[in-house]
Amino acid sequence: MREVVVLGIGQTTFGKTPEYTAIQLGVKAAKAAIKDAGIDPRELQVCYGSRVYDATQTIEDIMKNLGVTEREMHNCENACASGGTAFNLLYKDIANGVYDIGIVVGCESMTTCSKAGQLVGAAPGDLNGTMGITMPANHALTAHRMMATRGITLEDIAYPSVKNHRHGILNPYAQYRKVLTTEQVLNARMISDPITTLMCCPVSDGAAAAILCTKEYARKHTTRFIKVAASKVLTASYLPWDLDTVTRPTLTKLAYMAYEAAGIGPEGLDLIELHDAFSPEELYTYEALGLCKVGECLSFIRSGNAEIGGKHPVNPSGGLLSLGHPLGASGVRVVCEVTQHLRGEAGERQVQGAKTGMAEMVGGYLTGLGSPAVGSITILSA
Amino acid sequence: MGKQVLFWPELFKETDKGLVLVANKCKKCGAVSFPKNELCVFCLGEEMEEVELSRKGILYSYTITRVPVDKWTAPHAIGQISIPENQLRIVAPLIMEDENDTFNIGDELEMEIAKYWDDGDNEVMGYKYRPVKKKGGK
Ligand SMILES: [Zn+2]
Repeated sequence: MREVVVLGIGQTTFGKTPEYTAIQLGVKAAKAAIKDAGIDPRELQVCYGSRVYDATQTIEDIMKNLGVTEREMHNCENACASGGTAFNLLYKDIANGVYDIGIVVGCESMTTCSKAGQLVGAAPGDLNGTMGITMPANHALTAHRMMATRGITLEDIAYPSVKNHRHGILNPYAQYRKVLTTEQVLNARMISDPITTLMCCPVSDGAAAAILCTKEYARKHTTRFIKVAASKVLTASYLPWDLDTVTRPTLTKLAYMAYEAAGIGPEGLDLIELHDAFSPEELYTYEALGLCKVGECLSFIRSGNAEIGGKHPVNPSGGLLSLGHPLGASGVRVVCEVTQHLRGEAGERQVQGAKTGMAEMVGGYLTGLGSPAVGSITILSA
Repeated sequence: MGKQVLFWPELFKETDKGLVLVANKCKKCGAVSFPKNELCVFCLGEEMEEVELSRKGILYSYTITRVPVDKWTAPHAIGQISIPENQLRIVAPLIMEDENDTFNIGDELEMEIAKYWDDGDNEVMGYKYRPVKKKGGK
C-alpha cells in the first residue's frame, strides 16, 4: 500500500440554496478543491461522485464543467455514508497503485430533491419503514433506551445540539450560527419523542470535495502533507434479538479496524467529526468509538471532553446539527473539516495543535440489520 | 363499504384463534426469521419450519412520532417489541388510548389486528400492540 495524502479540499457554505442544483454546488466545491491543490484539473486521473437523491451521472456532469472528460468516473450511493464510501474508493485506488491522483465530490440539494420536506426514512419497501420507522424515530427508540439504562436525562440528550451550535457559531460554512439553550432545544416542536426539531439536523444543501494523491505526487505541489492514516467502510451485521441497542457493535468494530490501520487508539485523536444527525446519536457514538468506556458517556460530557479545548473535541465544525446534512456531501465535508484543523487553518474554531483527527459518517436503516446499516471512518494525521 | 385487506399478507396465518403472525425457524441452528426467509441468514441452512409468533410481547423501547409519515397520521406510536417465547424482537405500531397516552419500557403488550390506513374503499389492516399491563401498575 502506498501512502496517500490530502492535496486539496473545497466546500460550499451549507444552507438552504434552492437556486443552485446539486451539480452546481458540486462544481463550486470541486473548483475550490482544485484551486486549493494548486493543480490543473486535467491532472485528475479518476473521479468519484457521491449523492443519494435523484442521482444520475453526477460526477460526469460536475467534471464536464471543469474541463475533465474521458476518465474513469464512478458514482456512489451508500445512504448518509455515501461521501465517506466514495472517499474510501478513491483512497484505495491511490493506495493500491491504480492511479496517482483523483478527486471525490459529494453533493446534495435536499431542498429541491424529490424527497424534499419528508423525514429521511428506511429503504423503500423495507418492512419497518412501511410501519413508520424514520431516521428520527430510529434514534428516538435508542434515546429512550439510553434514558432507561444510563440514567441519562432529557437535558443530557439535548447537550450535543447545544454544544454543536456553540461550535457552529465559529464556522463560516455553517447554516445556523446562533446559540441554543437547553430549554430552547427541549421546548422545540416534538418530532419523535424525545427528539425535538432542534435535536434534528436541519434541511440543507451543500457540496464538498477532496483531492487525494500519492506522497510522491504531492511533493510537486507542497511540502506539508496531511496523510490518510486509515480509511475503512463496514456494513452492519444481523441484529441479534437480544442486543443492547445502545451499543453499536459494528461501528465499534469499524473504529478499531481504523485504529489498527492507523496505529493509534482513540486516546490519540485530537478531534472527531461524526454523524450527529440527531442529538442523542452523538452520545452513544462516543461510546461506540471508544472515546469513553461503554456506559460512561455521561461523565465524558460532564468533564467537557467533547468541547473545543477539551480532551477529544467532537464536531468542532458545529456538526450536522448546525451545518445541516446534505446526505451525499457530509461524508466528504468531514474530511475537509479535519484537514483544515490539521493544517491549522480552521480559524476561530481551530483545535489548537491538532495532529490527528477522525472523520466518521454513518447511515442507513434496514430491517434485520444493526443500526447504522453502513459506516465509514477516515483517520487523518499531520 | 370496502373490504379489509392485510398490508403484507405473507406475514400472517389464519388459525382457529384468529390471525397470527408467522415466522420461519431454521431446523439446523434454530434462528427465527421474520419476515420469513427461505435461507437461514445465520447458518445458510435451507430447511425451515413455520412457527406461529406468540401474541405476547414486552416493550423494549418506543417513540411517538408527532408529524405525519407516509400514510400514517400523527401521533403515530412505534415500539421495539421483544417476544421472548420466540427469541425475536420486532418493530410494530403501538395503540394509544388518546393523544396524551404514553408508554414505559417493560410494559406487557398483546398483539391485535387493527387498521393501518385506508386505501380507496378498502381498509388496510396490520398488527399493532396494546399495553395490557403498564409497568408500575397504572
Ligand atoms: Zn440456521
